[in-house]
Amino acid sequence: MSAAAASPATGAAPRPWPWRGVLLPLAILAVWQALGMLGGNVRTPLPTRVVAAARDLIASGDLPWGIAQSLGRVFLGFAVAALIAIPLGLAMGAFRSIERNVDPLIESFRPIAAIAILPLAILWLGTGTAAAVMIVAYAAFFPIVVNTVAGAGRVEPTLLRAAATMGLSRFATLRTVVIPAALPAIGVGLRIGMGVAWTAIIAAELAVGAKAGGGTTGGIGQMMFVFYAYSIELNRIVVCMIAVGLVALVLDRAIRLGMRLLMPWAPRP
Amino acid sequence: MAVFFVVWALIARGTANPILLPSPLAVGEAFAALAGDGELFRHAGISFGRMLISVGIAAAIAIPLGLAMGLSRTLDAIVDPTIEVLRPISGIAWIPLALFIFGIGNALPVFIMTYTAFFPILLGTVAGVHGVDRKLIDAARTMGVPYRAIVTRVVAPAALPSLLVALRLGVAASWTAVVAAELIGAPSGLGYAVEWYRELLATPQVMGFIAMIGILGYLTDRAVRALATRFTPWAVETRQAHS
Amino acid sequence: MKTAPRADALPDGASTRIAAPKLRLEGVCKRFDVSGAHATVAVADFTLDIAGGEFLVIVGPSGCGKTTVLNVLAGLDAPTSGAVTIDGRAIRGPGPDRGVMFQDYALFPWHTVWGNVEFGLRHGPAGAGLDADARRKRVAGYVDLVGLSGSEAKYPHQLSGGMRQRVALARLMANEPDVLLMDEPLAALDAQTRIILQDELLRIWGQDRPAAKRRTVVFITHAIDEAVFLADRVAVMTSHPGRIKAVIDVGLPRPRNDATRALPQFQALTQHIWSLIRDEAYRATVT
Repeated sequence: MSAAAASPATGAAPRPWPWRGVLLPLAILAVWQALGMLGGNVRTPLPTRVVAAARDLIASGDLPWGIAQSLGRVFLGFAVAALIAIPLGLAMGAFRSIERNVDPLIESFRPIAAIAILPLAILWLGTGTAAAVMIVAYAAFFPIVVNTVAGAGRVEPTLLRAAATMGLSRFATLRTVVIPAALPAIGVGLRIGMGVAWTAIIAAELAVGAKAGGGTTGGIGQMMFVFYAYSIELNRIVVCMIAVGLVALVLDRAIRLGMRLLMPWAPRP
Repeated sequence: MAVFFVVWALIARGTANPILLPSPLAVGEAFAALAGDGELFRHAGISFGRMLISVGIAAAIAIPLGLAMGLSRTLDAIVDPTIEVLRPISGIAWIPLALFIFGIGNALPVFIMTYTAFFPILLGTVAGVHGVDRKLIDAARTMGVPYRAIVTRVVAPAALPSLLVALRLGVAASWTAVVAAELIGAPSGLGYAVEWYRELLATPQVMGFIAMIGILGYLTDRAVRALATRFTPWAVETRQAHS
Repeated sequence: MKTAPRADALPDGASTRIAAPKLRLEGVCKRFDVSGAHATVAVADFTLDIAGGEFLVIVGPSGCGKTTVLNVLAGLDAPTSGAVTIDGRAIRGPGPDRGVMFQDYALFPWHTVWGNVEFGLRHGPAGAGLDADARRKRVAGYVDLVGLSGSEAKYPHQLSGGMRQRVALARLMANEPDVLLMDEPLAALDAQTRIILQDELLRIWGQDRPAAKRRTVVFITHAIDEAVFLADRVAVMTSHPGRIKAVIDVGLPRPRNDATRALPQFQALTQHIWSLIRDEAYRATVT
């Protein structure tokens, strides 16, 4: 048990350091900076240089533009995936016959990562945005459909029975009970799908950058590769990595917020 | 499933472009040929080996760390923010920097895959420890069981099902990363082979290797599930919804 | 007022039968075929008549098939053999004329109290012919009847167990069913809330009104004191397979209240029913 002593004045235990969380990151940054300055050369990425590089990239507009490009593809691919996966998932969850026929197909392709399909996509659609969107859609499709099926198929049986005893038709039950009940699970699928989509676009842009010598894709993934292969700007690479992380966080929060707005009845965690 | 192959065959016949969409038969033949001369298994073995090493390293670090973090609020408060900052930076995003550090070779895929597998395993382990029913621990304490034994005899077994789920997710994540890493930065393996044959416009082989990626991914997942059933038969696992 | 409980003997047909019953189960048998294993016979040769406007409680040990009987009456399950009718018509499926109250409330978490009570009228056949205004009036009336005026905008997760059960009751009654089927609705509540809700249930059902004006209720419980408190008649079931063991007239006067529980006759009835069930209840804890 905690050894915290109770304060005699208030009788409450002293609050733990609020800044315990920043200890480790600060220590890492400090060590990194020190090592780099001692042993590195002009190319070594250092926290100070990374900050400077970030300033440059944002001011020049390269970073915002790259992010915007990548995001555009992600949203497009994500929308395509959701528009197919959600209705399909609902149908599969509600009707066993559909699930039995479609599920083997889905389960066969699910272990094949989106990035593995990339060469095929390039073969079919070239190195442009179309192939990237296809990869993103493929990647996001599986988590969305799997979670939607689970949500639609796991509606509490008593809720379905209650609707039946009130005389609702099969279709009315689907509309008024199954869909609202499945929303939380669909939300989980969308959140995971968005995460996977963002990772997929970075991977796709990287790969295209690496193999097709640039191509017409652009985007932040490709920027990263250019900084590695052509201009060897390691600090800029790190800036891009941090940007990738930040965007991932923002996207996740955005979907969470969206789902909370869509489900006003959910208790606050 | 059969419908899928029939539709595929019809479309292939219709487009009549073996580079764009070979017939299922052509892909099957290519697959058999690759399997026959061993090339398929050579690359598969290399990729699989990398995955085993990566998951092994990741688990060796993540599981002890996760257990410690789950048991100690202080440690969790110190380490968790750093983890949460690093986690959104996917393993893929590390590839350019890692390429610079490791160059093209074996180390790159293993590094990327270890990094990718690390987070799901760590977080799953922490969640597993946190998820242990408090009443189980309390019951042991009222029986006078000492702390060390509570950790090994109550917390660890209770957290095991979650841990194995986390392991499964880690394996799946690193298997996804293997393709990306090998595509870009390795001289061997399934991801490399897929790209190699694409540059040769040998689509049947490309599809053959993609199929192998899927098969191995599926089999590995099954294997971990079997492990889970064997070691934690008390944990009923309905079809999990996960990525 | 009767001075001693009249326990009818084993099913000889006479006491389980009524002239012109509202609901009738005749020789009902329900068999479940568990895949691979042998079939389970939940209920066999079950015969019971239920009068219009009466409050009938079915009591029995755990697993005796009470819920199966209710499901058959509700139309959620079809009997393997035998007949089940309402007003002489065969029951073919669920419908708003036989409303059901479930043990776990089955409230829709995405609807407020108002939304839940309104649900059957909004989306089901019970609301056909009601315009929005009439519907609103009816819903408001039933929300008020169960004592939840002022909580219309709350979501189920914000309600206590007792409040949730009131909502479930209001939702059920808003469809104005002929028959109310209740499957251990108070089982999930703590003992104190239970007693309050038993009183409320009788009030809402209208225990002071004449039988012709009341709805028929079939209520399932394994709490014997609850059964005696609420019922006009108590049907005692036995298990493996489920059958009627006895039907007992509860002659206690209405309206029933706290004083009723203190009556010696109340005790006698409770003891008698318990003696009918005790052995099976014991066996259920060791097998």
